[in-house]
Amino acid sequence: MTFEAVLAQARAEGRTLLNEVEAKQLLRDAGVPVTNTTLATSREEAQAQAEAAGYPVVLKVVSPDIAHKSDAGGVKLNLKSKDEVGAAHDAILESCLKHVPGARITGVAVQHMAPQGTEVIVGMTTDPQFGPVMMFGLGGIMVEVLKDVSFRLVPLEEKDATQMIDEIKGRPILAGVRGQPPADIGALKTAILKVAEFVEKHPEVKELDLNPVFAYPDGAIAVDARIVVAEA
Amino acid sequence: MSVPGHRLDRMFNPKVVAVVGDKGPMYMWLRNNMPFKEKGGTLYSVQLDPAQIPGIEALGVKNVTSMSEIPEPIDYALVAVPRQVSPFVLKDLIANGAGGAGFFTSGFAETGEELGIKLQGQLVEMAKEANFNLVGPNCMGLYLPKAGVRFNADAPVTDDGRVGFLSQSGTHGIMFSLVAGANGIGLSRCASIGNAVVLDVSDYIDYLMQDDETEVIGMYVEGVRNGRKFFETLREACKRKPVIVWKGGATEAGSRATMSHTGSLAAPSAIWEGMMRQCGAITTQNLDETIDTMKALLSAKKPRGNRMALLAQTGGQSVSITDAFARAGWEVPAFTDSTYATLGEFFNIIGGSFKNPLDMAGTVQGKTETLDKILSIIEADPNIDGMAMELSAMFAARQWKANPAVLDTTLDIIKAHMNASDKPFVAILHPAHEMEYIGSIMHKFHEREIPVFQSFERAANAMRRVSDYWASR
Repeated sequence: MTFEAVLAQARAEGRTLLNEVEAKQLLRDAGVPVTNTTLATSREEAQAQAEAAGYPVVLKVVSPDIAHKSDAGGVKLNLKSKDEVGAAHDAILESCLKHVPGARITGVAVQHMAPQGTEVIVGMTTDPQFGPVMMFGLGGIMVEVLKDVSFRLVPLEEKDATQMIDEIKGRPILAGVRGQPPADIGALKTAILKVAEFVEKHPEVKELDLNPVFAYPDGAIAVDARIVVAEA
Repeated sequence: MSVPGHRLDRMFNPKVVAVVGDKGPMYMWLRNNMPFKEKGGTLYSVQLDPAQIPGIEALGVKNVTSMSEIPEPIDYALVAVPRQVSPFVLKDLIANGAGGAGFFTSGFAETGEELGIKLQGQLVEMAKEANFNLVGPNCMGLYLPKAGVRFNADAPVTDDGRVGFLSQSGTHGIMFSLVAGANGIGLSRCASIGNAVVLDVSDYIDYLMQDDETEVIGMYVEGVRNGRKFFETLREACKRKPVIVWKGGATEAGSRATMSHTGSLAAPSAIWEGMMRQCGAITTQNLDETIDTMKALLSAKKPRGNRMALLAQTGGQSVSITDAFARAGWEVPAFTDSTYATLGEFFNIIGGSFKNPLDMAGTVQGKTETLDKILSIIEADPNIDGMAMELSAMFAARQWKANPAVLDTTLDIIKAHMNASDKPFVAILHPAHEMEYIGSIMHKFHEREIPVFQSFERAANAMRRVSDYWASR
């Protein structure tokens, strides 16, 4: 689906939040590395997609009525077989409907579970005065507690992406500490620049999170994505 | 020089100036602008009430009771009339074809009052329709040292200013101008921009970045009206010349709804900082930092590395100068063996040290030729990228007062080394117990363009900012 088609569908449904499958598909088309994620609308589809994605897999609920997926029991990690996927699918639906009675369930997002890497966050928001702004930071505790993040205004030049990465306090973690391998800085730069290009091309995008992105010694991949678009 | 064709060019290079609404016997605005008249400019007073202009003949200024009596276009006008009258004055200025006007008049939107907001709206509408260059309102207008147009009677009249300054605050504009002058920093052009409702800070930056006489741009800003335009103009300006941005006031945290993690982390101050780095601007937090950074930019050579030679007068100060520079991120490396060998030939080891920092009072003891020798040796050391040297008021003021030639010779030697070297040199002179005397000799440093700072920290931090700036180019 094109950006315009996804936008039209979201607006038709009165949504400003694109679901994970939509967001990842648009980002992937824009050259941003994201885990391949598909939408299953039945137990059988979920199992077939899991087989295709390769185990272990992750299942997440897709619902316009459920903002906090984990809290509703809508996320199942590290599923290693067809049977586990089938059981997880049913458990997700049951739990979500119990937590949010009457919730509209679009389906379940199926993706290969990417191996753990160094967690970073790449995001974008719209400042009322300066317009679209990119953000970069280390994920997890570094962003939650220390707010160790850097900002640049869109559009970005390559040096801006380099500086965003270099100026966070936790930068040495990306170089590899205590035997951890270094993160692929080039891949992180590319991710930042591709997201910046994407939001520049689509001014309807008001906010965006890739959280987390797993950075590896060779490459980086976003395992969750969230896109908020402007109201029509 | 000027920027031909720029919309602000006439008002920034005025030949005809009018002061509207000044009153005797004080004549604050006419007196501010006397240098303009003395330099051959045409200065008019516009005051319709003859009772308000006692003794104006003594100033040699022609008063007209209506702007229509002025037979030529006004390049710049300073308007100091009651707010209710300001739209009528603006109408006359537009009819005259004036190049621009600073509205000292206040009581507009900044008051939050209905009438003030309404009157400001009227001014904005009229100015925008006529494409008129309205400075302010609620400002001190322009300070053009070369033309002799001033916003304060103490502001220096100089021909060779190199710094352009913009200030959202009238007080900071004046204070900066005066303190810069007292530090030997001359201004090319300065604007107190007030409410900036017609001309925004970006419009002035656009002029200053193209102005050949302006080598460095500085500004005091609290907030900007058009964020994107500011970003784009500032980024362009930073490509052309160093820009120092002193941001005042905590930016209000906009309480806006956000559905993303990124949005919840995007504090206005963090975005501002990111934008400053993106543009390549130098940021400062107060007047002193702003002045110090300009001083270092204008009169120290570009540092090519991070290794400083520190020359102090005593042991205690050797420790303190090292603390200050180390905290500002400078390295204080050992000299080369050959430097040690040469210094060792004459250095007085008793009460002195010739490691880095160099504790040299015991060796120099007022002998300027020894100072000359030490500076030559340190300057040539390949381990060193720059030099910071303490001058001690505590020890030397008595000698300098008794024999001013010693001070002059010392400064001449320093200047000769600065000229001959491609490494930066900065001097530190704490006034100690001699504040009045040290104040009286500062001009000797400024005339020679020797960058001098009142504390080790101020020197170290100013050089840090400048060094980081050049390294990022």
